[in-house]
Formats: sequence, structure tokens, C-alpha cells
Amino acid sequence: MTSPSEQLSLRDGSVLVTGATGGIGRAIVELLSKRGTTVFAAGRSKAALEALVESTSGHVIPLQYDVTDEKSVKEAFRSIQKQQLEPNVGMLVGLVNNAGEMKEAPLLASNMDLLKHQLNVNFLSAYQHMQLASRLMARSRHGAIVNVVSQIGEQGNAGLSAYAASKAALTGATKSLAKELAPIGIRVNAVAPGFIETELTAHYDDAQRERIFSRIALKKAGSAELVAQAIVFLLDDASNYTTGHVLPVDGLFQP
Amino acid sequence: MSNQEKLVQAFSDALGIAQDLVQDTLEYNTIKEWDSTAHMVLISELETVFDVMLDTDDIIDMSSVAKAKSILGKYDVTF
Repeated sequence: MTSPSEQLSLRDGSVLVTGATGGIGRAIVELLSKRGTTVFAAGRSKAALEALVESTSGHVIPLQYDVTDEKSVKEAFRSIQKQQLEPNVGMLVGLVNNAGEMKEAPLLASNMDLLKHQLNVNFLSAYQHMQLASRLMARSRHGAIVNVVSQIGEQGNAGLSAYAASKAALTGATKSLAKELAPIGIRVNAVAPGFIETELTAHYDDAQRERIFSRIALKKAGSAELVAQAIVFLLDDASNYTTGHVLPVDGLFQP
Repeated sequence: MSNQEKLVQAFSDALGIAQDLVQDTLEYNTIKEWDSTAHMVLISELETVFDVMLDTDDIIDMSSVAKAKSILGKYDVTF
């Protein structure tokens, strides 16, 4: 039986990962690198990107920019457009929209700036990335896009309406673009993580964890590596009959 | 290869049509081969061949071969 890693055609191409220096982002970059894929790693912090490149054995090309800055995003894609023609890089075959932020606030305290910021970071930036990446992938009529959404966006949660709305918007775009881009060989899927052990959840104390675990069927947190494995599966040709779906990685979480 | 020849080749490859059909008067959605799906492949082909990255407004405006030439001119591609 052939394992997913043996079927991986990603080895010949490159993948752009946004939010590459966070917990899940680093796990994605490491997993792709181990499989021989060139990774364009996008992040805001130059120091964090340098540390990522230093700690990863594969071919990682850092791209320092803010995903909400339209001009910078376009410049990053212009750079990818040129670099992908180099033989040691390969054509862009994958995009992972992983960058995101979660701002917690009840409805009455959610001002328009907070709402716009959540939509900018979690949805509009991902949309622009899909628009530009699909143009690079269209020529070869092959590619895979994976959006990192959230179980909060799928099921809702009190105090997180702005965040949930922004992630639900990305889920809607995922399902629509899967249909729109299928004729040119581009698949679009999403992964919806639940409670994952990363820097973002490190501050939860034992009591908070117990409360959360009581709502998870598997009674434990997930890891960034498990989320990365799901994402790489959806990038991989091993999933080439799967598009327009949201894959939960949540231990059956009920927010 | 001249830019005109590159353009004709790009349209022919992206739309899957004979090169002699690629005339300035050819317009988007007037032949079944130039639909919205093929348009995306065409944009990708033109951007690669001429080493440019088009603005979204220019993509929306690219409604004919003649218009494509005019728009590429904004990116210093001369015909």
C-alpha cells in the first residue's frame, strides 16, 4: 500500500503558508519541508521567520509581510511568480491560509473597528491570497488551497461573534471557490481546528482546560502537528477527489 | 519571438483555439472556448509569458484581444 507521503506530488512544487511562524504554521512548514516541498513561509516578524528558516532542514523561503496589506501581498506574489520558475523551487501548487487572529468581545463591546479587523485578518486577506494563488496555479491547471477556519465559525460561541463571522465567511468562500475553481484543477478545502496546544492556548489554567475538555468527546487537546497532518493531506494528491469540504480536527468539540 | 507572436501563442494555448482565430476583434464570451474559466487560464498565461502581474481592474477590462494589447501596454509590453 502506498502511503500519502509516497504519493505526494508536492515534492516537485512549492507551497505558500501564511502565519508560518505561529504554532500551527511552524508545524505545517516542518511537515512540508520533511516531504521535500519548497515552502514560502509568510509572517510579519523578520526575527521569527529567520528562526523558522534556521530550525527547518528543508527549503524554506521567508516572505516578510502583513497579510492585511494588499500592496505587500501583491508584491509577495510577484516574488513567488518569479522564484517559482527556478528549478530548485518549483511552481506554486499549494496555498495554506493559516494566518488569523481571535479577538474576544461580547456584542455590546464589539466596535466596528474590531469587526473590520477580524474580517480583514481572517477573511479578506485569505480571499486576496486565493485570488492571486489561483492565477499562478491556473496555467498548470493544478493546485490545492487549504483554509484554516474554526469550529467556532462552524458552530458559534458566545463572545466570539466577530471572529466566528470572519471564519464562517472563509468557510463560505471555501465551498464556493471549490466549485468555481474545479474546472481548472484547483481544489479548495478547509481545516477546522478545535482546542489545540499552541502559544495561543498556553495561558489556560487547569480549571479552564477541564471545562473545555468536558466539551470534547476525546477529552483532550489536539496538537499543531495533527492539524498540520490534516492540512498536508488536503494539499496532497492523496486527497485529489476531495474539494469543498471542511475537515474538523477537534476531538469532536462542541463549543 | 515578437510580442505579437507571444500574445497569439498565449491566447491559442490558453483558450485551445487555432492561432488564426486570435484576431484583435475576438471578444470574451463570443466563442465557447473563451468563457470565465478559460479567462483565468488566459490571465495566468499572459502574466507568465510577459512577466507581469495584472491589477484586478485590468483583468475585468480585458474583454478582447485588442483590449489585452492595450492593457499590456500599461505594463510596458509593446506591440
